[in-house]
Amino acid sequence: MSANGSRGIEPGGERGPETSEGRGSGADEDRERDTRPPLLAVVASLVAATVATAAAVVAAPTGGAVVGASIVCLAAGSLLGSARVLSWGAAAGIGGIALAAEFGGGAEPLLVAGVALAVAWDVADHGLSIGRQVGREARTRRNVAVHAGTSLLVGTLSAVVVYGTYVVAAGGQPIAALALLCFGGVVLASAFR
Amino acid sequence: MTAAERDRVDPATTAASEPDEVVGGDGDPASTDDGTSPAATDREDGGDAARDSPTERRALRAFDTGRWVGVTGVALTLVGIGIALRQPGTVLVGAAAVGYGLYARLGEADEAELAVEREVSDRTPDPGDAVTVTVRARNVGDAPCLDLRLVDGVPPGLEVVAGPARVATALRSGASVTFSYAVRASRGDHEWGTIRAVVRNAAGSRERLTELETPTRLTCTPELAAGGELPLRGLTTVSHGRVPTDVGGSGVEFYATREYRRGDPLKRVDWNRRARTGELATLELREERAATVVLLVDAREPAYVAARPDADTAVEASVEAAGAVFTALLAGGDRVGIAAMSPRDCWLPPGAGTDHAVRGRETLATNPALAPTPSEDRFYRTLWRRRFRRRLPGDAQVLFFTPLVDDVPVDTARRLDAYGHLVTVLSPDPTASASRSTATPGRRLAAVERRERIRTLRGAGIRVVEWGDRSFAAAVAGANGRWSR
Repeated sequence: MSANGSRGIEPGGERGPETSEGRGSGADEDRERDTRPPLLAVVASLVAATVATAAAVVAAPTGGAVVGASIVCLAAGSLLGSARVLSWGAAAGIGGIALAAEFGGGAEPLLVAGVALAVAWDVADHGLSIGRQVGREARTRRNVAVHAGTSLLVGTLSAVVVYGTYVVAAGGQPIAALALLCFGGVVLASAFR
Repeated sequence: MTAAERDRVDPATTAASEPDEVVGGDGDPASTDDGTSPAATDREDGGDAARDSPTERRALRAFDTGRWVGVTGVALTLVGIGIALRQPGTVLVGAAAVGYGLYARLGEADEAELAVEREVSDRTPDPGDAVTVTVRARNVGDAPCLDLRLVDGVPPGLEVVAGPARVATALRSGASVTFSYAVRASRGDHEWGTIRAVVRNAAGSRERLTELETPTRLTCTPELAAGGELPLRGLTTVSHGRVPTDVGGSGVEFYATREYRRGDPLKRVDWNRRARTGELATLELREERAATVVLLVDAREPAYVAARPDADTAVEASVEAAGAVFTALLAGGDRVGIAAMSPRDCWLPPGAGTDHAVRGRETLATNPALAPTPSEDRFYRTLWRRRFRRRLPGDAQVLFFTPLVDDVPVDTARRLDAYGHLVTVLSPDPTASASRSTATPGRRLAAVERRERIRTLRGAGIRVVEWGDRSFAAAVAGANGRWSR
């Protein structure tokens, strides 16, 4: 038995309109609205993570196994609704890629793995925020597709530019060219800060 | 929009849909996934000049979501490790990650420049009807919204029964999104709040909330239930009516005999007695008079209680019962008024007639003091009591509808009774529970306290009718048999 007034939109929690259309507040909120991330986001994220793992396995199986752990973390993060677990997944992926490079993995599969990992984390995290603000039952397909597409596009462009520069400019003297590339990256990144 | 999706959309929205186009559809493999919301379409419409003006809005400042924090650091660390260990692979991955760092700084979350329309299928539904609400938002700004989430401001008194009142989409300039949901109409005057639009930039690193003003009103006025006869107490006016009084005169029920006085009508002479004893005596009949009744509904915040989280509140039950009593008393020729014990003012002076019946129905249905959700203002009982007593006609009885969840109504009822306004308390029982398993200690304590209050009232000579699971009419019928006049 409790004062059961607030059946409507309440100004919400941490960011943006975390709202409920349920009666009551707090615990009742989840009964009315499914706040899990949309299925599409979860599936897209896991597919991308699988691609990352496959590419990393091609580069070096040991590193690939570590990247594979990121699939588990991303799935768990989506399931638990925890951005922190997703970050662990991304960290595991990065560690795996670095490990694969250490074991002498080729540059091309590692680039693919890197981009796929970024997309996987980005889409999963986006799905979490969509789930919190809009919920699983609402129509979110286009939103998620646009976000995943943009993310993939950015990653591909970035990888193509980097790889192109690597192949064209750095044919003979890799380390000097890479150092220059690195310097350019730092300048560009700080220019945007 | 795929053909399969077109089949799923609501017929009402399909009828109006023109060439559909997916904004930013870049052949993402996952875009064939399900859209679980049945009634939502995104469409492009050709130059519709009338709708080009954006809805009035209030935008908050954009803020960092912190999504991509650290990506540049990670990228540069990878590059550094790669250079140190002479591994081109790590350097390349790190350099590519710098691209994401730039992407995160790209663009700002703009205000949502949307033209929003909201349509409800029925503006004056009956209680319990499902009302379909269709919201259509069109991006009238120059820039595309790559990440737009809309949350409609459903009135607090309405419950969404189908489809969430939300959508997430991407709209390029000129494109629009339509989503619909259904609410269950409940008594009252409901007004939609602002639509909240959350816009993020492409990378999702910046976010901004915009509130869009699209007022829509829905009024739900229930038919008043025909009520049973509620026995009133003896305080009456001088007009004829149906309340039996302790006054001898003309009527139907025997009251007393008295000595014959010149001028008494012949048909009231007790001829049997005359035949037996030879004396003339006159029969006195019980006069039936009309009463002035004020229905007082407890609508303070504590009165908004319910037996279960999804049950109607005690205020709702009180208003429904007051409606039934209102019709019954008015039909019986009594003068009936309505008042609310609430932070907001509600006073319908006692009256009679068809006009008054309509006014009463409207007051019970849509008066803000009797709204389905509590008012946020503070209730000052001393001020309220003083004002109520000033308004209350001297010969008015009070029927007090209250769940008796605290001591204020008890005190009020006893005071009113002491001032000579005979009070009958009608109390919906929010502590009644269907099963034993839900009887928590708190609920039991509340029930005991409430019983104690009822005992106090009865001890003070105030009549109390309570009804929980059974209907109000049944409770009144039960009380009818119990009470002597």
